[in-house]
Amino acid sequence: MTSRQDERLLDGPLLPVACRRCAAEVLVRKSSWEQTSIQWNAGARAACVGIEHPHDTCPALRSAIQEAALTGSIKVIE
Amino acid sequence: MIHVTATESDAVRAIEAEAISSRFARGWHCLGLAEKYKDGKPHTVQAFGQKLVVFTGADGKTNVLDGYCRHMGGDLSQGTVKGNEIACPFHDWRWGGDGRCKQIPYSRRVPLRARTAAWPTMEQDQLLFVWNDPEGNKPPADVTIPLIAGATRDDWTDWRWTETVVHTNAREVIDNVVDMAHFFYIHQSFPTYFKNVFENQTATQIMKGVTREDSRRQREGSGGGGGPRMLGNTSVATYHGPSFMIDELTYHYDGYDLSSVLINCHYPIDETSFSLHSGIIVQHSDKLPPEVAEATAEKLSTFILAGFEQDIEIWRNKTRIDNPLLCEEDGPVYQLRRWYQQFYVDVAEVQPEMTDRFEFEIDTTRPVESWKKEVEENLARLDAAEAPA
Repeated sequence: MTSRQDERLLDGPLLPVACRRCAAEVLVRKSSWEQTSIQWNAGARAACVGIEHPHDTCPALRSAIQEAALTGSIKVIE
Repeated sequence: MIHVTATESDAVRAIEAEAISSRFARGWHCLGLAEKYKDGKPHTVQAFGQKLVVFTGADGKTNVLDGYCRHMGGDLSQGTVKGNEIACPFHDWRWGGDGRCKQIPYSRRVPLRARTAAWPTMEQDQLLFVWNDPEGNKPPADVTIPLIAGATRDDWTDWRWTETVVHTNAREVIDNVVDMAHFFYIHQSFPTYFKNVFENQTATQIMKGVTREDSRRQREGSGGGGGPRMLGNTSVATYHGPSFMIDELTYHYDGYDLSSVLINCHYPIDETSFSLHSGIIVQHSDKLPPEVAEATAEKLSTFILAGFEQDIEIWRNKTRIDNPLLCEEDGPVYQLRRWYQQFYVDVAEVQPEMTDRFEFEIDTTRPVESWKKEVEENLARLDAAEAPA
């Protein structure tokens, strides 16, 4: 099967957000204030110490993403 | 003459679907309750595009072999269990669980190359699992199905297990992991929170929902069904590998919670059909003494089966689509399929993007707004229908 791209990324790509608690840098997209996509890579995952339960989003990273959205370093599509 | 070029938004969107691969997923697949295969008889199981024989030897170990005898092609699943071996009905050749021919009663010796395909098996939590790997490798030690505590505890019910054959490709059932909206439109649920996390061999769906008053009214009538009112539920469902989902499902009632574990699993029969299983266990509690818990498990099992039927009706009529057109309130279908693809390529071909952690949280503001309105409209219609003329 050919791997296909989520076309929603054409309207707003994933952009880098760095965590301030650790060295993790992930790719983030927000289509609204409440919606968040986070793409990790192995390096970022290894660096992160904030995921206490595998289903949780790292709280420090969540803050970093909120700040990135507020300062405009990632665009909230809406 | 003026030429008008169709812009992208004017162009008709085409549905694309590649031919389905005849390769089957690498991973543990559950064949159902282990007990079923312990009756001393061979069982025919159509799986992974072929006929398998499943039998339990005198030693209590359940084995899975290719269904056809390497001698003259007899159907081993029509044979007889003799000791720890399956005897072919055609000439009584005896095959062990390791795939080797152990004995030919009418011959002085077993020929070289008398070896058939054997699938590794595992029994856990009263369930039988079989390992499929197109590359023929043994299951790695770190590729496991987690234990389900309630399955072996006295304060939980026994499994209520169902099996249904579905005539479509197994990708359809996987897609449900990210499909929030279908829970409202197909299953009469009302999701209010929805998040996915994919990482390594797991894909998780976290969903919270509230009970729909319109569905309750239709079930119970305006007088209500009596008994405790269910307010909503919290579900944390994880696929461990390509086919076995464990759903920790808590139902919230007025004043107490009901804890259950739902299994939603399948194995492919061939590329266009699969065997879909459900299993449920319910925890006893003060509010739910053993006999009530058993009755509740029975009711939930019927409810889950009804849910499967709702999906099956959609699958029966829909088309396969490789390029779903998504709105922002849909889940990460493409990223889920990217995760799922890891089970269909050789281990050496698994790409980081298939296993790297990915999180996706849906903004449920608009769906909840819209669904509230729809529920209110349905209730108003029910009121009008019940009002005396």
